[in-house]
Amino acid sequence: MSPRALLLTVIAGLIALFAIPLVTDNDYILALGISFAAMSVLAGGLNLIYGYTGLLSFAQVGFFGIGAYTATLLVVDRDWSLWAGAAAGGALSVLVALLIGYSSLRLSRHAFAIVSLSFALLCAIVARDWPELTRGSMGIPGLPTPTLNLGGGVRWRLVDPSDFYYLLMGFAVIAHGLIYLVVSSRLGRAMRAIKLNEPLAQSQGVNPLAYRLMALSLSAALSGIVGGFFVFYLTIIDPSIFDFYYTETMLISVVIGGPGSFWGVLASSAVLTVVPDLLRFTTDLRMVLYGVVLIVAMLVFPGGVGGWLYRRQVKRWRRPRPQPKPTATTP
Amino acid sequence: MTALLQVRNLTKKYLGLTAVNDVSYEVEAGTIVGLIGPNGSGKSTSIDCISGFQPADGGRWSLDGVDLTGLPPHKIARAGLTRSFQTVRAYDELTLLENLSVAAQEMDGIGWLPALWRSKALRAAERAAEARARDLLATVGLADYAGAPAAILSYGQRKLLAIAASMMSRPRLVVLDEPVAGVNPTMVRRIEDVIRKLNAEGVALLIVEHNVDFIMSLCRKVVVLEQGEKIADGPPSLIRSDPRVLEAYLGKAKANG
Ligand SMILES: Nc1ncnc2c1ncn2[C@@H]1O[C@H](COP(=O)(O)OP(=O)(O)OP(=O)(O)O)[C@@H](O)[C@H]1O
Ligand SMILES: [Mg+2]
Repeated sequence: MSPRALLLTVIAGLIALFAIPLVTDNDYILALGISFAAMSVLAGGLNLIYGYTGLLSFAQVGFFGIGAYTATLLVVDRDWSLWAGAAAGGALSVLVALLIGYSSLRLSRHAFAIVSLSFALLCAIVARDWPELTRGSMGIPGLPTPTLNLGGGVRWRLVDPSDFYYLLMGFAVIAHGLIYLVVSSRLGRAMRAIKLNEPLAQSQGVNPLAYRLMALSLSAALSGIVGGFFVFYLTIIDPSIFDFYYTETMLISVVIGGPGSFWGVLASSAVLTVVPDLLRFTTDLRMVLYGVVLIVAMLVFPGGVGGWLYRRQVKRWRRPRPQPKPTATTP
Repeated sequence: MTALLQVRNLTKKYLGLTAVNDVSYEVEAGTIVGLIGPNGSGKSTSIDCISGFQPADGGRWSLDGVDLTGLPPHKIARAGLTRSFQTVRAYDELTLLENLSVAAQEMDGIGWLPALWRSKALRAAERAAEARARDLLATVGLADYAGAPAAILSYGQRKLLAIAASMMSRPRLVVLDEPVAGVNPTMVRRIEDVIRKLNAEGVALLIVEHNVDFIMSLCRKVVVLEQGEKIADGPPSLIRSDPRVLEAYLGKAKANG
């Protein structure tokens, strides 16, 4: 697709997305939109860190939950605004991300995977077993209706699902915009180089640690903030915010969309929000089915949508010459 | 005048094996130096150490008077020493142009924020890099594939791409680990031409090779390793007749006979 066509498609898509609450007040459709917005940000963050820099991270759900708990506690106990609470949640997630990233990445990528997994499990344990801070496994029900100060004396009370739809969809657009800005710049090129051949990248002056910490921090910030917003839509927070279900959904979106494929992962997270909900799986069965889908996808469809596009490109170049005109690979 | 690359008393041990033992050598600015020796004599280990990929157990090395001892690979590259690998490496899923652009982007001093906002300086630097990349691709004969993913290249073509990539950032010294191993004779001549051409631009090269003819015709100086020790160091004519080198390569009987 040409850049112009892409831009027009994106604008049309955005208009359609933001018009949905105007044409329907069907709570079910709005709920799907809200969970798409939240899940796509989580998947986009995982794609940034795993798909672009090649680091398998199980920590994303931890950032999401830390953001959610931080925002909740600051808003409920300290009377902070939701803006400030969510921002603090994002900031704390970044801090934690730097801590686990810096300590484990000096050892290896594998150390990072293990540390990130332990971190996510630890989050759930802390949430459950430190009731003085988190109220334990009962969680905090009945979160208040937040009011957002939009500046200029305009105050926005988030009462209806459509309010949350706009908040989360708006944030998702910003988040994906930021991710796109990074991956379509030459920073994205360096990240892919690190994933594809780390020693070669190093021999060319690329510092893998710096890029990976940057990608990890950005994904942590976005996941933390989205957690802060999302939990006020749920109106309850408990340790299940750290549930493995989120991790599995993120992983599946990235694997099917194609690690390192911005649009592929965005599309697959939309499909993965809508389809399971239509089929009304029970939660337990859904987890098992997701596992099966994940394995089948990796076997029959390696690299997901992005991988398929790449293989087509390779085939085109391998065809006897004269060749068609070359195109750069898209981010 | 001090040499461009100075390696002093380099030592590297692997679990009781001394792969490189107290080796010193120099590469003068703008020259081509060969590093030869039998399999397992420590050639690759020696260059892995000076390029930061293996921690050395002893010794110091410097480029243009700047001490590089103990620096990580990316800093050594930024200081002007780039390398290729014995097991040839490329970014398979990136196009050849992208492969080469990556090799230059960390050296132009443009930070992350200008890169994100696509500042004027960034766009100028990227254009310059692309022009250089196209030049280099033409030099190594891969211009037709500029937009193709590196995955489609043959083994020999990948070696050419690796040489081009090592030159992208206009380094002071390029270290090539077996640039012509497993490559057909036509391609060997082509690589030899490419190396001469790049050397004419002023870059110095340190080349590890088993192809002795290739080394002897290219290099002004040859360093010979055997079992981690330097056994000879001099111009090709002297190396050819050095008894220790003949012994290392041909065995005792032949050397004496
Ligand atoms: N990572 C490693 N761990 C343990 N031993 C190693 C390692 N790398 C190399 N060695 C050993 O060090 C010695 C020198 O190996 P090196 O690869 O430097 O030789 P070389 O001169 O490059 O040989 P070749 O011509 O076969 O490439 C060998 O005995 C090898 O087995
Ligand atoms: Mg070797």
